[in-house]
This record gives sequence, C-alpha cells and structure tokens, in this order.
Amino acid sequence: MSDKKVALVTGGGTGIGSAICRALAAEGFRVAIHYRSSEAGAAALAKELDDAFTIQGDLSDASSIDAMVKTLKAEAGRCDVLVNNAGFNVNAPMMTMKLGDYDAVAAVERGAWYLTKMIVRRFMFRAESGRIVNISSIVGHTGNAGQVPYTMAKAGLDAMTKSMALEMQDRGVLVNSVAPGFIDTEMTEVLPEEIKESILSKIPLGRMGKAEEIAEVVTFLATKAGYITGTVLHVNGGMYGG
Amino acid sequence: MSEQEIFDKVVKILEPYVKNEEAFASVVKETSILEDLKVNSARLVDVVLAFEDEFDIEIADEDADAVVTVGDAVRIITEKLG
Repeated sequence: MSDKKVALVTGGGTGIGSAICRALAAEGFRVAIHYRSSEAGAAALAKELDDAFTIQGDLSDASSIDAMVKTLKAEAGRCDVLVNNAGFNVNAPMMTMKLGDYDAVAAVERGAWYLTKMIVRRFMFRAESGRIVNISSIVGHTGNAGQVPYTMAKAGLDAMTKSMALEMQDRGVLVNSVAPGFIDTEMTEVLPEEIKESILSKIPLGRMGKAEEIAEVVTFLATKAGYITGTVLHVNGGMYGG
Repeated sequence: MSEQEIFDKVVKILEPYVKNEEAFASVVKETSILEDLKVNSARLVDVVLAFEDEFDIEIADEDADAVVTVGDAVRIITEKLG
C-alpha cells in the first residue's frame, strides 16, 4: 500500500468534483473518486490521475456507504481528506414538488453525515488528524425559487460543518465548507441563454466561476489552513459575502 | 483467548478513561462503564476503537450501543472473536 495521503471525493467523476480530484492529485494525494452512476467519467479520471481509483456507492443507502468505507480501507488503508461534494437536486416550484423529491434531495446530505461519521470513526480519530470539506452552495444562504429542498439541504450542510467542527475540535480534525456561487459546469452549460444572462447580471465579477477556482479553495482547506475550522468560505464572484 | 483474558484487556483499555478510581479498584463484569466508572460518554468511541484495534475486530454501532457494563463489552468481543 502506498504511503501517499488519501483523499476521498464524493461525486468526483463530474463537474466541480473532477476538478477537485485533479487539484488534490496535483498536490500529491492518492484520490479515491466516488461515483454513483457516472462510472465512465470516474474511470476515465482515475486513469488520468496518478494512483487514483474509483469507489461506487449510493449515498442515500447506509449499507452502500458501509461498503464504500470497507473498500477504502482495503484499497488504501487510510483517509486523510474527505470532500463531501456529491449533491442531488430536483428543480420544481414547491407547490408541485413531491414529498419523494424532497426525500431524495435530503437523503444525499444525510449520506454526507453518515459517510463523514464512518470515515472519521474508521480513519481520522485513529490518526488524530483529518480534513473534511463540505461543498454547499450560495443558494443555501440566499434561497432560490424552485429549489426549496436543495436550499434547505445545502444550508443544513453548512450548519453540519459548524457542529462537526465543534465536536472534533480536540481531535485534530478540521471541518469546513466551501459554498460555490454559479460555476460553469455541465449543469450550467445547458441553461437557456436568457437565464444565463440573468445570472451574469447579478455577479459583480461579471462571469461564472470555474470549477478549478472551487478546487483551489478546497485544496487550500485540505492542505494548509491549519487555523480554520467550522467556517463557510464563499466563492461566488462577489454575489454574497456571508 | 479466555474470557478472563478478554476481561483483563478490556479493563486495561478502560483505565485511562476512568474518572471513579474507587469503583475501578473493585471492577467486575456488572460494573457500568458510564454510571460506575464515570467514563465520559464522548470518549466511548475511543474505547470502542481501542477494542477494535486490540482484538482486531469491527464493532458496529448497534453492538457499541449494547455496551453498558464491562461484561457487555467482554460478551460482544467474545462473540466477535467467534
């Protein structure tokens, strides 16, 4: 087994997640790229990055998370950094949103909590060291019409960050959030032109962010930033400062 | 490993977390880890991790929740060791 530090990135095969995997690999991490269904993207990225590997798992299912942790233990034997990046969204007005949609969105954040608990228990408490970075969203702070469950889940993730940081303050484990604004990814590429223009008009820096710009902040929290914990770092081109 | 050996190892693992030395001096299987030994509940996870490392076993949440007394710990570890 390699002596390299290991970082697990959930939803690592696409968008912001893949940029985070690349940035951490460039910092010398052995990256465990989690995916639920985007196997092709995750596998291609694992081939591209030195010593990286993939882990499949459904974050809405505790037994699947248990299996992920077992795989990580067998494959790498350690986990120094966990990036809870995976998310799930259903866009709909609340009057037409179904209870099942709400549950599906919330289940992924519930999974982030359970995965964090198991990673901390299995690896970080023993090592008395670790970094956890939760990827939330600007909309968890500003609200967004059509995203009631998603905004709730992301706000909850930031609250979880603060509580976890307090619980682990004497364990050598630092917990922080990065809250991206509008980032140029596969998700935003498909937005209609008028929606994109409306979004851009609200961004002081006049452009969407790049996934790499989120990844470099995550890397900072994962590798340096020894005096930051329980904090939400807003990365949104000036739209919102917290 | 005999039950007595497991008991002795469990007691040794608990020692650094014990806040009631008097109760610890007369520890038996019926001794409650939280109530009698006054182990801080936030440190129970460390105790469970130490059990896992010492005996090379994995203790699930449900099993950890069932550990109230020293004897409970000995029983669960014995079961895991098969």
